[in-house]
Amino acid sequence: MSELLLDVENLTLGFRTERGLARILDGASLRIAPGQVMGLVGESGCGKTTLARAILGVLPAGGARIDGGSIAFRGRDLLREDPAIVARDLRGRAITFIPQDPFSSFNPVFTIGDQMMDLMKWKSPRRKGEGRWPALLQPYPRARRRADMEAVLEMLAAVQLPNPRAILRKYPHEVSGGQRQRLMIAMALLPEPDLVIADEPTTALDVTIQAQILGVIRRLATERRVAVLLTTHDLGSAWEICDAVTVMYAGQDVESAPIDAFFAAPAHPYTTRLLESLPRAPEEGGAADVGGIPGEVPSPLAQPAGCRFHPRCDRATEACRVVRPEETQLAAGHRLRCYHPRLPA
Amino acid sequence: MKRLELILSRLLWLVPTLIGLGVITFLISHVIPTDPVAILAGENATAEQIAALRRELGFDRPLPVQLLAYFQDLLRGDMGVSLFSQQPIAEELATRLPATLELTFAAVLLASAIGIPLGVVSALRRNSAIDHALRVVTVSGLAIPSFWLAIQLQYLFAMKVGIAPLNGRIDGFGPEPLTGMMILDSLLQADWESLGGALRHIALPAITLALPAAATIARFTRAGVLEVVTSNYVLYECAMGLPGALVTWKYVLRNALISTVTQIGLIFGVLLSGAVVVEAVFDWPGLGAFAVISIIQSDHRAVMGFTLWAGAIFVIVNLIVDVLHTLIDPRSTR
Amino acid sequence: MSTSNSGFLAGAADIGRRLLRDRAALLGFALILLLVLAALFAPWLATHPTDVYEIHTARRLTPPGAEHWLGTDRMGADIYSRLLFGARITILIAVIAVGTAVLIGVPIGLVAGYYRNWFSDLLMRLSDIFLAVPQIVLAIAIAQTLGPSIENVILALSATYWPFWARLVYAETRSVKNETFVEAAIALGASAPRVMLLHILPNIASAIIVRTSIGMGATILTAAALGFLGLGAPPPTPEWGRTIAESREYLPEAWWYALAPGIAIFLVVMGFNLLGDGLRDILDPRIRRGGREP
Repeated sequence: MSELLLDVENLTLGFRTERGLARILDGASLRIAPGQVMGLVGESGCGKTTLARAILGVLPAGGARIDGGSIAFRGRDLLREDPAIVARDLRGRAITFIPQDPFSSFNPVFTIGDQMMDLMKWKSPRRKGEGRWPALLQPYPRARRRADMEAVLEMLAAVQLPNPRAILRKYPHEVSGGQRQRLMIAMALLPEPDLVIADEPTTALDVTIQAQILGVIRRLATERRVAVLLTTHDLGSAWEICDAVTVMYAGQDVESAPIDAFFAAPAHPYTTRLLESLPRAPEEGGAADVGGIPGEVPSPLAQPAGCRFHPRCDRATEACRVVRPEETQLAAGHRLRCYHPRLPA
Repeated sequence: MKRLELILSRLLWLVPTLIGLGVITFLISHVIPTDPVAILAGENATAEQIAALRRELGFDRPLPVQLLAYFQDLLRGDMGVSLFSQQPIAEELATRLPATLELTFAAVLLASAIGIPLGVVSALRRNSAIDHALRVVTVSGLAIPSFWLAIQLQYLFAMKVGIAPLNGRIDGFGPEPLTGMMILDSLLQADWESLGGALRHIALPAITLALPAAATIARFTRAGVLEVVTSNYVLYECAMGLPGALVTWKYVLRNALISTVTQIGLIFGVLLSGAVVVEAVFDWPGLGAFAVISIIQSDHRAVMGFTLWAGAIFVIVNLIVDVLHTLIDPRSTR
Repeated sequence: MSTSNSGFLAGAADIGRRLLRDRAALLGFALILLLVLAALFAPWLATHPTDVYEIHTARRLTPPGAEHWLGTDRMGADIYSRLLFGARITILIAVIAVGTAVLIGVPIGLVAGYYRNWFSDLLMRLSDIFLAVPQIVLAIAIAQTLGPSIENVILALSATYWPFWARLVYAETRSVKNETFVEAAIALGASAPRVMLLHILPNIASAIIVRTSIGMGATILTAAALGFLGLGAPPPTPEWGRTIAESREYLPEAWWYALAPGIAIFLVVMGFNLLGDGLRDILDPRIRRGGREP
């Protein structure tokens, strides 16, 4: 893994609240190689969505404070570059977004076609420098518009939406949730990005279409060699489409591994407990309910020192309570932060 | 067509509302007073005159019969004769309507031009000095008695500085009446001198009326924008790097204005109420000034005629706003 | 809002504390307090308490100065003193008119929202028709019919204002009625009046309080406008709106004549609006302005 597409190092950020600073991320790291489908998993509240939003540059205005770390995309630190240039050149172009809730992520008062063509007007890969117009007066050259429209129709076919021209004329509320998420996938891929950030893209959908949507994401990512960051609390989704998985706990990364190693040989006690908590048939000896890890996720206002998992960990020792473990490499692409990993016998 | 259905149902609702309005004015004029005829006859009428008038107007008949007769007269457009002008009241109100419409339109335009940008800026710079200052201005705008503001503006700009006329609608005869709205008429006939005069005359009353309306519009726009900027679709549009100006003035504003537009009906009520006193102060020859003249002259039937007209205009404006709402919000046909 | 009546009562202290932290609401409260104090102590605060009825032609239209802080009017009366006594009329009209409107509107809304039959539909349609006309238009019609007096202004305002509360309480009652704790009370056999008074009313009280504060401001403005139109108390009553109307004949010379009464109306209405805004932020989290935390 010499050349990383995305390299988040030690990202630390918090929100000011009435009861003090809530550290949502505290030294979180994440690495994605070009074309890699990376799953970012963890219980709700562990900071995965905040990490995704930090990369996208859309943390809640006013409240969020970044205290340290870096987000390097192709070697450019997104936190230190001019935000206007990042928004113009990278956001929506090299890095795109599939939101969690396709129901509320479309603007309700404009047609789907209007919104897609607005996106293409600004973010089409065919767009070359077009002068410095004020945003509202920016012209849309006719030839490019025609080419962009072709690309849109092609892409709608690629995400298996029937009758694309009719869909473009509809308002968002007139199409189903599954169709809306296919449209979101299409919009994420149309600018021909290098990285798509998919934030829990299936949780708002019907169980029956979740697998279809994940399949579409996986197929198109492979075909177009696009890297994907998929945040999910559902290990099953990660298993289905990811190349590798990074596990987060209480605002920190704890383990990162290729998909096979992750499921076959999880080393961090939290990861193993997470996998054990998967619903299984009782005769296999698994717990019947999800989230069966004793203890509670610590509050972001009062995080424990050392390894954050130590109050819930049966292997914890004195060392675990004092200093956060350094990152160690177990195998190629398998990294870990733990003093007492479960190693394969 | 669901939209058509919606519009038709609103139109249908107009009928009972107008009937209800008629019943209310009937109650006010025929049932509330101990002797309604004495009020109609005026303060100087003798007992014989009152008795004669009672028979003539049919006040000796039972109430339901009177109500029926009342509605028959209304349907014929007969509201009686104005004591002030000796003209039929309905006719008088009809000739005065364009002046009031012109003034309220001017005020709505002015109020929107001030209120919408203020509301947007206030929401985007929430809790900044601008936001706090605007909050003071909007709360004040709603608290200022418009008749007092009118007098102060007259004192300042007409009497002291002398840059605006004290009152009236135009100097001289004005443009050839086509619509009755002088600004529109002088524009249509390219009569620039009349246009200038009309604009100078409408300035102070329109500003007086627009101030509370602008405050209302700014408040609703601010609330609407605040609700919209935290929405998932704005998050999505920002995450996709769309230009800020496009997100604010196209995507956010269009959504925020849906709630503002529904408030225009309410704002129109504010304007119509304000118009009664503001027209009186500026001698603006509209419905409100007529109402005030009629009050002063104790012309009861003219006041009732005004009530009916003002109510009907208000109801119709709200109907138009409802229909407009279904047109600008694609979700409303769901 | 809380889901039980004890929660509402326990929240009262908290509401007070949060009001103290909202500077705008505090200012509103101070303005209202000022009005009440002025009205209560008018005879002692006034420099010329007898000027409300007496005529002093020798000193008519005196500009503001050491003797007459806010000047004198066309009868030679001290405007400052009349202003203080005018505060009594303002409070009288606002409190009785709004109080009557609340007493008519709240029960109607409560009963109509609780039972939901043809009768409640009829009541709501009736209030819709009232709401379909600007309040001042109907108030003008009623006040003109009855003749100029304070009582008739109050009557006209309460007759035109009750539908606001009826509508509000109707909508709130309908939503609260479906809450579990109300359904539980009904299931346990509580009588309808008991459910309405002990379970529903405390939970919609915050909405009524907010609306009442803002309604006071609106009512004072409308009452002043009626006074200005000559439909209020006849002279020499020191009513603020009427004073402003009188002043028109003496402009531009007597610039001070309308100034003080206008500002007085403005400050009082502003006081109720600010207080209402502050109360709404605290009591109704659905439309809270938000972002005010330190």
